[in-house]
Amino acid sequence: MKKLFLFSMLSLFFATSFAQVDRTKQPEPGPAPEINLQEPVTFSLKNGLKVMVVENHKLPRVSIQLTLDNPPVLEGEKAGVQSLAGSLMGNGSKSISKDDFNEEVDFLGARLNFGATSAFASSLSKYFPRILELMADAALNPNFTQEEFEKEKAKLITGLKTQENDVSAIASRVQSALAYGKNHPRGEFTTEQTVNNVSLLDVENFYRDYFVPANAYLVVIGDIEFDQVKELVTKNFTPWTKAVPPSLSYSEPKDAQYTQINFVDMPNAVQSEISVQNLVDLKMKDEDYLDALIANRILGGGAQARLFLNLREDKGYTYGSYSGIGDNKFGPSTFRATASVRNMVTDSSVVELLKEIDKISSEPVTSEELANAKAKYVGNFVMALERPQTIANYALNIETEGLPKDFYKTYLERINAVSIDDVQNASKKYFSSSNARVVVTGKGSEVLGNLENVKLNGKAVPVLYYDKIAEKAEKPNYDTAVPEGITATSVLEKYIEVIGGKAKLDAVESYAMLAEAEMQGMKLELEMKKTSKEQFMQDVRVMGNSMQKQVIDGDKGYMMAQGQRKDLSEEELKKLKEESAAFPELNYLIAGGITLEGAEAVGDKKAYKLKITDEKTVFYDVETGLKLQEVNNIEAGGQQMQQTLSYDDYKEVSGIKFPFKLVQTMGPQKFDFIVKEIKVNDGVNAADFE
Amino acid sequence: MKKISLLSFFMLATIGTLSAQEVAYEEYDLDNGMHVILHQDNGAPVVSTSVMYHVGAKDEDPQKTGFAHFFEHLLFEGTKNIERGEWFKIVSANGGSNNANTTQDRTFYYETFPSNNLKLGLWLESERLLHPVINQIGVDTQKEVVQEERRLRYDNSPYGRWREQMFINLFKKHPYRWQTIGSLEHLASATLEDFQKFNKIYYVPNNAVLVVAGDIDIPETKKMIQDYFGPIPRGAEIQRNTFVEDPLNGPIKASYNDSNIQIPLFMMGYRTPAQTEKDAYVLDMISTYLSDGKSSKLYKKLVDEKKMALQVFAFNGSQEDYGSYIVGGLPVGDNTLEDIKKEIEEEIVKVQSELISEKDYQKLQNKFENNFVNSNSSIQGIANSLARYYMLYDDTDLINSEIDIYRSITREDIKEVASKYLTPSNRVELEYLPEQKEAN
Repeated sequence: MKKLFLFSMLSLFFATSFAQVDRTKQPEPGPAPEINLQEPVTFSLKNGLKVMVVENHKLPRVSIQLTLDNPPVLEGEKAGVQSLAGSLMGNGSKSISKDDFNEEVDFLGARLNFGATSAFASSLSKYFPRILELMADAALNPNFTQEEFEKEKAKLITGLKTQENDVSAIASRVQSALAYGKNHPRGEFTTEQTVNNVSLLDVENFYRDYFVPANAYLVVIGDIEFDQVKELVTKNFTPWTKAVPPSLSYSEPKDAQYTQINFVDMPNAVQSEISVQNLVDLKMKDEDYLDALIANRILGGGAQARLFLNLREDKGYTYGSYSGIGDNKFGPSTFRATASVRNMVTDSSVVELLKEIDKISSEPVTSEELANAKAKYVGNFVMALERPQTIANYALNIETEGLPKDFYKTYLERINAVSIDDVQNASKKYFSSSNARVVVTGKGSEVLGNLENVKLNGKAVPVLYYDKIAEKAEKPNYDTAVPEGITATSVLEKYIEVIGGKAKLDAVESYAMLAEAEMQGMKLELEMKKTSKEQFMQDVRVMGNSMQKQVIDGDKGYMMAQGQRKDLSEEELKKLKEESAAFPELNYLIAGGITLEGAEAVGDKKAYKLKITDEKTVFYDVETGLKLQEVNNIEAGGQQMQQTLSYDDYKEVSGIKFPFKLVQTMGPQKFDFIVKEIKVNDGVNAADFE
Repeated sequence: MKKISLLSFFMLATIGTLSAQEVAYEEYDLDNGMHVILHQDNGAPVVSTSVMYHVGAKDEDPQKTGFAHFFEHLLFEGTKNIERGEWFKIVSANGGSNNANTTQDRTFYYETFPSNNLKLGLWLESERLLHPVINQIGVDTQKEVVQEERRLRYDNSPYGRWREQMFINLFKKHPYRWQTIGSLEHLASATLEDFQKFNKIYYVPNNAVLVVAGDIDIPETKKMIQDYFGPIPRGAEIQRNTFVEDPLNGPIKASYNDSNIQIPLFMMGYRTPAQTEKDAYVLDMISTYLSDGKSSKLYKKLVDEKKMALQVFAFNGSQEDYGSYIVGGLPVGDNTLEDIKKEIEEEIVKVQSELISEKDYQKLQNKFENNFVNSNSSIQGIANSLARYYMLYDDTDLINSEIDIYRSITREDIKEVASKYLTPSNRVELEYLPEQKEAN
């Protein structure tokens, strides 16, 4: 009896203590999880190759990563040799042709990629022996041929050409060149000229000198057995000849002595690229490495960070503003706070960026900012761990960066231990507002005036000038002097006169134009028809298929893109009508409100600049009076984009001069349209506008 | 009967093949009937909490379609202990991510968190099941959202209604004849009581599987699961209907005009067996053979060499009761839908009359193995697979052994299954056309 009683008491007690969790409260997170990272098993070959093996049998797959941990190489007047070596690797081997090689990799369902001093492969584990063999063969016996070399060289040069007017590409190379100096591996850059200095022999020499096993690491992760890896790697990589890469010295970069603006003039820029930068000496093994990362995250590490909240959310200067801090065991790296901003607000943005850098160094961050930055860091770190490549990189970092073995196991713990003081100390040490180089790449004629008045803590910030290849330059001269008597009206009248005269233009009831351009080997056709009765049709065709069509007929109109038809709203209709007039200059004269903004260079010609609307500017040749260029500012996806239409090769048709070459550029895209046919008062009928 | 033959097939298949993949898991039932699957992988401190409910569009009343999908929205509205609008904030403030999706057969909810937030994930999911707030404001809000979704993804989207048009012709009795998004009229006229009733029937622990996967400690996790899910009361047994289709007696010819498109589309749909049948797996291989990748037969012939089609596709839609095999293409230039049909048929007849080459067969095997392996490369992917294999295949172990089924498929099987299902009498031929010009 007594026993039974006790038993039921007990079970009662159990039941109550068991069932109750307080559901009304959101559970608190537990202590930061420790990372259960597997440690690789390692061995070395006699030639110096170090091999790390992480057995992971969860999935029957394997990844192989070859990394050469060489110091950076100064390429000098042959800059580009490294990049060419990288693209020539992996095209088969001395004994397997390129086509056979690629086909076999496909058949295995595998991936295999090469860089100048790296290689990566992934496949099912059962194909490990073969994919490793293919990788080793391609790495140790590369198939360098003159034919492939020429192909890759042409590709590289084409790539460089498309960058010539690309404001952000120019900005980023000048930023690095100014930070490190052009005689530093991280500051030098490749140009068409340096690529032309490179021969196939140079690539072979580069390969021979630098693709050597002294600092090489091979990381194998996946469903493989250590013994098998050891046997196969030994077999395939032992023929790799032992050698050490040449060690070169180069100039020691230095920070600016005082905070200064370095200005690069890009007349075609619609946005200014700003980088507030200084050198940092930060290595992963440094005590305050994580403090520096957290400080950077609070300042500019994402959409919750100060730069974004200030420059985008609060001021609306830019689509995004961020900062980044690099680490490098071989030498200095950089801290950069960047933004791409509208021309108008370039100076204000510089001021805000400098202010934010100043503030985070001089005032403690809030505990909420710190907590959010940590949560974000932890989340990202954790998610990244799922990928096998992350694990490989960690194992490699521990080895190459001289980190303690438990560096990543205690990572989250140490992130969480970062204090407000730590953040401030790191900010003071690594972010500089007093020795900062503010590199601004933008349109001088619009931004320089205000930029010269930027003050930091009451002191003017000097402006120094550089050109597109980071050489010192004179202050650009914007001679906007316009001769006496020239007005917007006189420019427009002259244009109308030189293309045929008002009487002839008025007599045009319709005209039709057909032009062609090439796009990635495909033919692009542009057909345009206009009448004096507010009718307009423009059709862009790719290989005969209509891609985009706009039609206006009086008060109605529609747009068709890739099969989808959309009627135009009243506003769109009004705007398009203005655009589509047969000779818009006739309307400009009637409408008035056009301003002459001065004279500027367009290519090698001097032109009068007429502002038609806030979005549209048109340039007319000072000499001939002909229209040279039209610039439209368009907003796309929150970014200001500039679309330029250049006119060239004027020819007479029915007594009127029409341009027979139209060049359209927008961002990195460029189309050269050659006019095939123009008909005046012929070839247009009502059905064209249905 | 079906089960027995399937089982013996599996046993046969596993003999002699060492399963290379080892996704370890443990499964059990709570007293309230909820099935639990745990998968421990301490490799990364990530944990996923997922719940799959065995309710999809096929469980809906034909007069009240769209309910299953509607719940996928409604059940983020809040619970007794989670204020309306707080769900997503709680997840992101704790470094996590979440989502949900609905098919004809099931509804799936999940969160992924750093593993120190396991308790939070369990709390969220148990609240969803135990305490959902289903009130007028939530219902009204989500009705708007779902209408927007239907407009965006179906009505205003080019080719957005091909599925709907294909399935009303492929199925006459089975609920697969309507789509998960359902009818806007049905949703608009549904009352609060209708939704509360649906919730009471299907959102019960005995109709759900909870998968906790990732960086967990098994005993601790079991305790937490018991704490949060144990007290949820069991629901009534769910009554399910079975629907058996009559033979299609095709070819059924259908056409539809879509005002959002300019280029017509031709497609053929075949009715195929349930996804648990081996034949369904064979059909997977056939669709890969025909149209997956640039070296596949249809792509190479119609797009690459003859340049007759802008795009071709073939896919095998596996489902719990019946499947569908869809193949089609978009003609280019002067080619007609009839031309496309002829070319596709020619390739299908080839598969039916000749064995595919040894090399193509091996390449197929390699592709399937790669897909299989990579589908289980993330914790969330594994959680989804475990839930699906348990709930819809009644065999959780397929996570490790499904590849053996593909491996067991021979070139002869491919030929035979193509001949058995890909016949004119078993198909719908759908001409999906641009809107015709109105006479005015």
